[in-house]
Formats: sequence, C-alpha cells, structure tokens
Amino acid sequence: MPLVDIQNLHVSFPQHEGLVQAVRGMSLAIEPGESVGIVGESGSGKSVTCMAALRLLRQPPSRITADRLILDGVDMLKASRNDLARVRGKVASMVFQDPMSAFDPVFTIGHQIVETIRAHTDASLSTAKEQAVALLDRVRIKSPVSILNSYPHQLSGGMLQRAMIAMALSCRPKILFADEPTTALDVTIQAQILVLIKELQAELGMGLVMVTHDLGVVAETVDRVVVMYGGRVMEEGPVQAIFDDPRHPYTRALLNSIPGRTPGKQRLTEIAGQSPNPVNPPSGCPFHPRCAVALPDCATTAPATRPIGPGRAAACWGLQ
Amino acid sequence: MLRYIIGRLLSILLTFFVVSVIVFLMMHSVPGGPFDGNDMPVSDAVKAKLNASLGLDKPLYEQYLRYMWGVLHFDFGVPFQSPGETVTELLARAWPPSLILGGSGVLIGAPLGILMGMAAAMRRNTWFDYVVSAFSTLGLTIPVFVISMMLIMVFSVWLNWLPAGGWEKPYSWILPITAYAAVPMATYARYTRSAMLDVMNKPFVTVLRAKGLSERRIIFQHVLRNAALPLVTVFLPMFIGTATGSIFVEAMFRVPGLGAYFVSSITLRDYPLEMSLILMITMMFCVAYLISDIVYALLNPRIRFGGKS
Repeated sequence: MPLVDIQNLHVSFPQHEGLVQAVRGMSLAIEPGESVGIVGESGSGKSVTCMAALRLLRQPPSRITADRLILDGVDMLKASRNDLARVRGKVASMVFQDPMSAFDPVFTIGHQIVETIRAHTDASLSTAKEQAVALLDRVRIKSPVSILNSYPHQLSGGMLQRAMIAMALSCRPKILFADEPTTALDVTIQAQILVLIKELQAELGMGLVMVTHDLGVVAETVDRVVVMYGGRVMEEGPVQAIFDDPRHPYTRALLNSIPGRTPGKQRLTEIAGQSPNPVNPPSGCPFHPRCAVALPDCATTAPATRPIGPGRAAACWGLQ
Repeated sequence: MLRYIIGRLLSILLTFFVVSVIVFLMMHSVPGGPFDGNDMPVSDAVKAKLNASLGLDKPLYEQYLRYMWGVLHFDFGVPFQSPGETVTELLARAWPPSLILGGSGVLIGAPLGILMGMAAAMRRNTWFDYVVSAFSTLGLTIPVFVISMMLIMVFSVWLNWLPAGGWEKPYSWILPITAYAAVPMATYARYTRSAMLDVMNKPFVTVLRAKGLSERRIIFQHVLRNAALPLVTVFLPMFIGTATGSIFVEAMFRVPGLGAYFVSSITLRDYPLEMSLILMITMMFCVAYLISDIVYALLNPRIRFGGKS
C-alpha cells in the first residue's frame, strides 16, 4: 500500500476574479522511502497539492475534493481535527519556502522544536530538550545549544532552514514534504540544504516530496519526478529516464529551456505563450495553446495519464 | 534598557516644557479674563484691582515663570472658580469619582472586548463575527450620551432597577460604568479581532499547524502572544480617559467628577486649574506611553535582544 495515495485531487478557491482552479485532477502515489520531485512553473498547482495533502488549506474558502486522499492509511478528507493534528508532524511533515517567516518570532527556536516533540510524544521537557539538541546536531548545526536559545530574528536564513528541517524531522515522520525549501536562500546555501535533505532522507529511510521549479534540484535529490502543468500531471517517471528521453511536449520544452543542456546551442528556447489562466483554464489539455505539436483533439478533450513505459506515464494525445 | 528609559525620561521633561509653554500662551491668547463674565459685571477699576491681586497684570513670561516655579514645588495654585480650596484639594475631591468611573470602565470593557474580538477572529465570517462587528461599530459610533440615555430609559425609567444618577451609593455606579465601558469594549473588540486575524494569516501559523499542534495551543499560545503586542500600545493610553473623565457620562449621571472642570476652567478663564489639568494629562500620557513601550519591548524579543547577532 502506498504511503501517499492521492487520486483525482481537485483544489479551488474563490477569488476576486472568479474560482481559481489550482489543482484539476492530480494523482500521486508514493511508496515508503521513495523520493519524488514535483516540478512545474509557478501556478502549476505543485505547492497547493502538498498543502492539500496535509489539509493545510483553510476550508472554506478553499474547496478540496478527491477520490482518495490517504496518508499512511488515514483518510485525510474524513479526518477530524484531532486526527489531522496526529498525522501532521508525526506521519507527514513539511518544510516551507521561506524560513524567515516560518518561525513564531516571539519564541525561541528551542521552544518551537520542543513543543513539536511534546505534541506527539510523552517526552518530558528535559528529554525533549536533549532530543532537540541532537536534532540540531543532526542537521549539522555547530553550536546547537546556543541556537536553541536564539530567537528566529537572530539567525540567518540558512540556519533557520536547517532548524526548520530539524523541527520537521523531530518526530521521525514517514514522509517529508519540502515545498521549494531552497528558493528563498542564497545560492551557496541552497546546495548545502539540498545535500542535507537528501542525506537525512537516506539516513531515516523516509519518503520525500520535493516541490520545485528548478529541474536541477530535482536531478540532484530525487528518484522519480512528476511534471505538473495547469493543475494536472503531464508526465511522470524515473528522473534519469525523463531527463534522457522526455516524451511529453511540455517536459521537452521545459528541459530545452535549461541553460547548458544542449551543447553548442547558444540561445535558450523559451516556451511561447503564457501559463494558463487558473480561473478560466483552456479546454482539453491545459498545454495545448502553447504546444508545438498539438492535435485537433487536444483542444477539446483532456488526455488521461497513461503508462508509456516502465514506471513512466504521460498525459498526451500525441503519445497514444 | 536603562539607557533607553533615561533617554525617554529626558524627552518627557522636554515634552512637558514645550506643552506648558504652548498651553500657557494659548490660554492667555483667548480674549477676555476671569472677571469678564456677564453674571456679575464689575467695574474696570475693580477688575484691574482683582487682576493685580492675582498677578494677572504682570507680563506673561513672569506669570509663566511664577506658575511653573509653583508647579516644581507641587503648588498648583488656587482655582479662580472655587477660591476656598487649592487646585490640589480640588483634584483630591473630584478625581476619585472619575478614576473609579473610567478605571472600572476600562478594566471591565477591555477584557470583555478582548474576549469578543478573540471569539470573533476564531469564528471569522460567521454570524457571531458579524454580530461582534456590528456591536463594536455601534459602540464606537453611538455617542456615549445616547448610550447613557438609553441605559437610563431601560434600567431606571422602565425597569426601575437602578438610580438614574448620583454617586453616593456604589450601586449608582453601575449605569455610568456600563456606559463608560462601551467605548473601550468596542475599541478592544475591533483591535483584538484584526490583530488576531493579522497573525493568523502569517506563514508561521501554517507551520504550527503542519507540526501537528492543536488549534487551541496555536491560538492561545502563539497567536495571542503575537497579537498582544499591538494591543499593549492601545491599552495604557486608554486609561488616560480616566483623568479627563468622560465629560458626557459624568454630566448624564450627575457624577461629581473632574470632567465638568475641563469645560468650566476654559470658559471661566480659570488659568491655574486649566494649566494644572492639562499638565496632569500630559504627564499621564507620557508615562502611559513610556510604560507601554517598556512592556512592548519585554514582550517582543526583536526589541529586547536587538537585531542579528
């Protein structure tokens, strides 16, 4: 049984311009210990998918429906508040994009890690503190005790993100959702944080969902990649296979827009057109208005995700 | 911290000086004098004599220095309108009712308002939230003398439960205190609601949820503590209203407080009383803001511990 089992997830929120359809029929299955990258441009629904998986979106205004939304056997759509609190942080944790705003400014880092541990275990205050020191040590923080006694505003972004990871891992979750964990950090720190997440994932044998718009990040950290566009999955498969032989026109276009991927070629190929309007998404395949090889069918009916090889699937009429 | 407090105290002294000069000049620039009233017209000769006896014939700077010299020795002069007592004695007599009225009004209204605001923020966009919003808007927009009148109508005239005025018996305090509490309650309900919602929309609250903390812990420990920061700055200054007293509430319920003297000291050109009352308020404002800034710093580690280390 997969650890994460999402079938046909739809998420929308009413906004000024109309109903924003952020996710439109997303499916995702993750086995224990597996690392998966969700890639896509901003607005493709990748972050919203993670937030919805943990039910972190406020309902209302957001509307979440799915055929299945199961985390480690818990039906997240039917779960009570208490059930949700038990799953969050214990079964599934999340690391967010901006570490600077992820901590409560009026409490020390230590307080916030300790309260997480104590929310899920019977650990005494002193045991929880010892565990927190060990955790900070584990995320390669040099002087754990002084960091524990620091307030968020006293630390750098990289340091805070390490502390954030330590906090997310404090109850040994079975899966970690990392929502663009390096986007807000300096380039030099980005690599360190990625290596850290990858090492910890291997060490703890937990599942990992790495949400990013950076294909480089995906290549370095995960085994399998899911390419999202317009709230839907376009293509998924093992990282190597997707990089070597992208099948979906969107994946191909995305890879062609990475600098230095095609040797000898100086000019980058941008994807013509604009991201789909989430309030009024195009009919059929969301990518068809920008697709160079679109067929007549593409504009009318959305293709289902079908297997196209070992461990690979894609949603494209041109491949069927 | 000590440095900061000393600096603030010095700036309070400066404020005090500037206010005293401005008020003194404005007070004397208003045409007319204490003996120009039409009730008991006096001849010019008598007027001149009276003015001379009070030192009002001296140049302004001399009058100012003489008055301030007295203030430095806690001698605030004798009110013209009640020459049988000193200003200090008048304050000792008229301030306690205003303090009781305003103090209990704030002490009752503010906590109720905070509770209402919290409940409204936690149930935002439900009927409860709308009722609180409507209630606090009414509390802020209906003039306090109208509220007073409604209270008198209902509880004194119709139900005959409570006296319509007076201050002799503690139960006669109930209606004026209720009327007074309306504004702090409404103000606090609004402030608390918006401060809480502001914090609840911060990314760190999502992180707290993602950690699996209970909603109760998130609200009562994290959101409230953060929302308290802006509230502290409103709370103490609100107590200053207890010094001015609510002129309207005191008038409606015949409370023998300080409120009426604010008006009469100006209309009667009662210079010593007017000056004393305004200096007193200035001092209270300065101290209230100093205390709320210190409390704010104590609650806020970003100020307590400075910037990045």
